[in-house]
Amino acid sequence: MEQVIKQSEVVENDFVKKWKEGGGKVLGYACVTTPPEIIDAAGILPYRLRALGNPNTEIADAHLARFNCSFCRSCLQLGLDGTYAFLDGSIETNGCDHLRGMFENWEYVQPSEFFHYVKVPHQVNEDAMVYYIEELRLFKSAIEEHFGVKITDEAMKGAIERQETIRDKLREVYEMRMGRKPAFTGTEALSIFLLASAVPYDDFIRLAESAIEERRGTGVSGYRARLMLCGAATDELELINAIEDVGGLVVTDGLCYGARAFWSPVDTTRDPIEALADVYLKDLLCPRMYEDYPRRRDFVLDAVKKYDVDGVMVMHNKFCDVHGVDNVQLRLDLEKRSIPVLQLEKEYGSTADIGRIRTRVQAFLERIGDQS
Amino acid sequence: MNAVTATATQSYTSGGKGPQDLKLGLFDRVSGLFEIIGKLPDVMSDEEVDGLMAVLAEDTRKSLSAMLIPRAREGSMAFMKMLARWLEDARNAPLEGKKSILIPFCFPPEIIHCFENSFPLTSEVLSSLGVIALEGQGERYYDMALGLGLPDHICSANAVEVGSMLGSDDFQPQAIVSAAVGSCDINSKTHELVSNYFGIPLFILEKPVDGSERGRAQYQKNFDRLVRELEEYLGEELTDDMLRRTCEKVNKANRLMAELWDLHKAVPDPVPNLFSLYSYAARFAMWGTDLAIESMRTLVDVSKRRLKEGAYPADSEVARCFLTYTSYYFDLAGLFNWMEERGYTYLGDGLGLLFPGVIDTSSRESMLWGMAEEAWNMPMTRQVGGESMSMCWLEDALYAAKDLGADCAIYSGHHSCKQTWSVASILRTELMKRAGVPMLALQGDSWLKRTTPITVIQQEIDEFIKNVVLPKSGAKRKLRRRGVGAAGTASTAETTSA
Repeated sequence: MEQVIKQSEVVENDFVKKWKEGGGKVLGYACVTTPPEIIDAAGILPYRLRALGNPNTEIADAHLARFNCSFCRSCLQLGLDGTYAFLDGSIETNGCDHLRGMFENWEYVQPSEFFHYVKVPHQVNEDAMVYYIEELRLFKSAIEEHFGVKITDEAMKGAIERQETIRDKLREVYEMRMGRKPAFTGTEALSIFLLASAVPYDDFIRLAESAIEERRGTGVSGYRARLMLCGAATDELELINAIEDVGGLVVTDGLCYGARAFWSPVDTTRDPIEALADVYLKDLLCPRMYEDYPRRRDFVLDAVKKYDVDGVMVMHNKFCDVHGVDNVQLRLDLEKRSIPVLQLEKEYGSTADIGRIRTRVQAFLERIGDQS
Repeated sequence: MNAVTATATQSYTSGGKGPQDLKLGLFDRVSGLFEIIGKLPDVMSDEEVDGLMAVLAEDTRKSLSAMLIPRAREGSMAFMKMLARWLEDARNAPLEGKKSILIPFCFPPEIIHCFENSFPLTSEVLSSLGVIALEGQGERYYDMALGLGLPDHICSANAVEVGSMLGSDDFQPQAIVSAAVGSCDINSKTHELVSNYFGIPLFILEKPVDGSERGRAQYQKNFDRLVRELEEYLGEELTDDMLRRTCEKVNKANRLMAELWDLHKAVPDPVPNLFSLYSYAARFAMWGTDLAIESMRTLVDVSKRRLKEGAYPADSEVARCFLTYTSYYFDLAGLFNWMEERGYTYLGDGLGLLFPGVIDTSSRESMLWGMAEEAWNMPMTRQVGGESMSMCWLEDALYAAKDLGADCAIYSGHHSCKQTWSVASILRTELMKRAGVPMLALQGDSWLKRTTPITVIQQEIDEFIKNVVLPKSGAKRKLRRRGVGAAGTASTAETTSA
């Protein structure tokens, strides 16, 4: 577990360095609507962009504005200051207005060697599915053309199986958090999750298996309440740590840097691209999607039951519109069912905000009462 | 006058401070006010205007006196009377068995006007009317939205109206069309929330962020699906005759819109600054109706007359400014009139970047294609709903700046426009690089006066024009001044620069 935590705390981890030293290529993507399987099938390492709570945005602020979410500003900062220099290209999706702006500015200032835009519909219907499937085929062709590789169906199936195995490990980690004595804290679970989309397959499986074995039969106790985190992009280990530090054990989440990214399995028996389209669009749980709120709400309600959650924290980064509004609906629905809920707006990665968040969480825990 | 209207009327004349009117919604108050405006004579003397101002509450008086300034009065009356009818029809719609459908400004209302059984209410136009016409400028409704837990970075253009719906005894739409999906997250999410909150249907028109033929074809599929869904919901088939009748009216109004655009090219600009706002407000609420045509014709006629007279509010036109996106609507006198009285022409803004076309009315397919094309080209949808937010916006802003002979661009920096904010720096850099047009980026809320006072905005515009625009374009300005003055013969910017 120590190795997992250490490697998850840096953007360019030792495994990426080794991969690059061996001549491997790395492609960055930001949003859960991007299937890493297509990148993996080309023999390229898919790397999910992250900012890991980086609070410095002085270079990015010359391009994005203070009215843009600080997660995107933080990622742009790392793109422009050279932290992401190891990337051989990046994939844009229209995840949200801020994300689009982040990619446009990144490309405007420092054009990538390879850049592709996967356009993702905001609705699920027959026309949208056909369009998205074609988008994924165009994405595959763009990689083939630029990197001079042929992605066969066999390669696709292999990649799907590998990514599915990764997701299985994540599901196992989450299952081990269900009991009254969870095997992992929320901070540890996030560390494992972050590595799953940042290191080569073999390395991740080895690390995950080792962490799981280390924790099997053990459990966390002494917490005040079992919490579920929902909301915007949250890859800040320090934030989860601050919540757990005051007694709120995070036992599950509805985050895109979390359960929402791996909950749905890929059908390995179907046409690979069509199977991926089902998972990355039809099954997508994200407030960027419309006519789909009841499914998002039910996902949270199911998790509350399954993980025996005492309270739900719905968070959004300042200026995040999709979560900022969706969280209101979710809060109202949770309140209707008498499930304690804390709606929290926060500044991404700001250590100055941690004190305020701790106070809010402490007050929330008081409201819930001691559940240990 | 019904009971609600009577209370609303009392509310705006008294300032709306009575406890009973706290539950009174924005729509009821605005429609009560416009019921009276609709009864005013088309032509009013200064004395009559003064008499009217004497009975109005302060905020209402401030806006109406700005609109009824002599040079803009005729156009303003035509515009307000069109709105009075729009609000009256909306109020009567449920009584006539019609369904009120809430739409965003980026959705062509003519599609709803086409149907016999429905009536469109444009969210942003209602919010703007609340801000312009009501005592308190609609801020209480914005606060109601925030009271529900909505974040303070939601768009006030929606929040003022939506807050009224959610927090007061205001009208509720029977359905919502959301057409900002793909071009504005906050607009789309706010409408989704209202739909879920009231349990009313939400119809979506998504714009793919794809400028290719494939993207346009996908949009047509989305548009055709929306029409089918509306037909089913309203229990009414959109016949060719209904489509043609509306499309012909759209074409007429589009021609007038294009004519108004061309009139802006003259130096000095004969179009009163406020007319930019009026023309796109008509487009967002009443396109496809005779009333919109009448209102637009008045705006064009007044401007033509002023062109002939060489009329301009200041001694000379000092700077021609194009606002790249939204404007500020909470102080019409403080922005539009203030600018032109200092010689700062307001050539238009991003909400007028809608490039009206001509719909081919020869067949059902051509009309549906043409209507979808109108929808595709609506402001915001066309620019930041494009494949590249920065480049699609830049192309249009560049075109406007060049075509209208702009000396400078101003970005109002409405704080909720995250998508434009996220690429505003690219726009600023490229406008300068490609056209030598400097851009001032302001920060403020277009609908709420509490964020940045108008005096600060005025000061920044003043400093920008004096210290950046004029020194930079000194030579060009001298040429223009030689050729034209306030009382001189107007010529077009192109002729002058040539």
